[in-house]
Amino acid sequence: MDGGNEGYPLLRSQTTVDLSRNGEAVADLTGKVHLLPCCIKYDGSTSVSDYFKPKFSGIEVDGLRVEEAYFRGRKLNGATLPLPDGYSGFILGKKSSDEKTNAETSYCWEANAKFQNLTLWNHDSLPSNDDAFMRTFHWFAVAKALHQPVNVEDLEYLPVDEDVV
Amino acid sequence: MESETALPKWASKPCIMGIDEAGRGPVLGPMVYGCLYCARSYQKTLSTLNFADSKTLKEEKREELFENLKADESIGWAVDVIDPRELSSKMLKKNKINLNEISHDSAMGLIRKVLSIGVLLTEVYVDTVGDAEKYKVKLSERFPNIKFVVAKKADSLYPVVSGASIVAKVTRDRALRDWVLDETAANMHTTFGSGYPGDPQTKAWLEDHKHSIFGFPTLVRFSWGTCTSYSKDMVEVLWETDDADEDGSDGRTGKRQLKLTNVGFTPVKRKSEETESSGKGRCKFFQARKLELLSHF
Repeated sequence: MDGGNEGYPLLRSQTTVDLSRNGEAVADLTGKVHLLPCCIKYDGSTSVSDYFKPKFSGIEVDGLRVEEAYFRGRKLNGATLPLPDGYSGFILGKKSSDEKTNAETSYCWEANAKFQNLTLWNHDSLPSNDDAFMRTFHWFAVAKALHQPVNVEDLEYLPVDEDVV
Repeated sequence: MESETALPKWASKPCIMGIDEAGRGPVLGPMVYGCLYCARSYQKTLSTLNFADSKTLKEEKREELFENLKADESIGWAVDVIDPRELSSKMLKKNKINLNEISHDSAMGLIRKVLSIGVLLTEVYVDTVGDAEKYKVKLSERFPNIKFVVAKKADSLYPVVSGASIVAKVTRDRALRDWVLDETAANMHTTFGSGYPGDPQTKAWLEDHKHSIFGFPTLVRFSWGTCTSYSKDMVEVLWETDDADEDGSDGRTGKRQLKLTNVGFTPVKRKSEETESSGKGRCKFFQARKLELLSHF
């Protein structure tokens, strides 16, 4: 890594993410994205649906429908979370046209697949709204409040403490 | 599974029961606990029924004896079939439940079940799992009105336990014979053999069904030592629940350290930074939710 420039080589400032792929349709993985509570030291494809068979557990927690599945002998409890309206999840890959340049130095990404929900799995505990990952969804509401355009009427109805004014 | 639900007359007289297990050692398939009970007055007749330790009997003989005892109106029976998924997952929980505990729970579950249908159990004979004396104390505490005889080789000493061993063994064999694999990959077969790790058929089946990502079909007991010998053929998986264990205690186990060195993670701290997002340097809202701002990736 480069000493100066805050630790990033100059090329790094050219990170791009291409979600549209020029209108080309990408695979829809809705219902097939699983976040497991482990790190699998493998990157590639495998026959997930032949081996990983989630079933409804008959339990509901925090309004979440709890599913169960087994991986490497461990029992996992999961819940499927829909992404809020206006949001999509994407599986990114290094842009294929950049293969001629070294993949290691390329920071151009493109969407290989998209999804509208994902299933979050816990080992040894039931999913709940207090799970760290669930809590990241709080950001959606905060972001909306922060970025929603403010117009004159909104300002007029702002609850202002009159004594101070 | 159990005998007819209508409670026979003899069940309100003092009864004896035997409990035994089948499929404790195998690396695959369910473990079955079986029990057989009858009136104490039937004990003499029971010893003429040629029940013997199920392991010393041929399969056809066991099947025949099982059919006979099912037809015998003076005998009741019940089984508890413990799915291999349950065995693996309990033994691989963060707070591990060992096989002895699972066995004890199953045996006690059978006693509870038989009592709950109204059988007057006064004596229960159990083939021991672990220390016989401790096991006896545990059982007597739970069921103070029952006299327990806990012994090694109870299945060859007491006909009522021999009978239970036949119930358990036949149920286990049938369960494995009729097993429908949950997995749907191509070229799977059901020539499991006995399930014992030394059985050549079982070895061949394990070899044919190992999978680099998923390990094995869920019929296999992942918590068995036999499975570890296949780990070289499998992709390594590091569990968050195991990491927490490690952080929680000062004295990390040598085994765990070895595992981390194997995959090239020496400083543990670095590892979690690599794999986990953090909200380092951001306001509390983000830190608490591990939301990191990534401008370069």
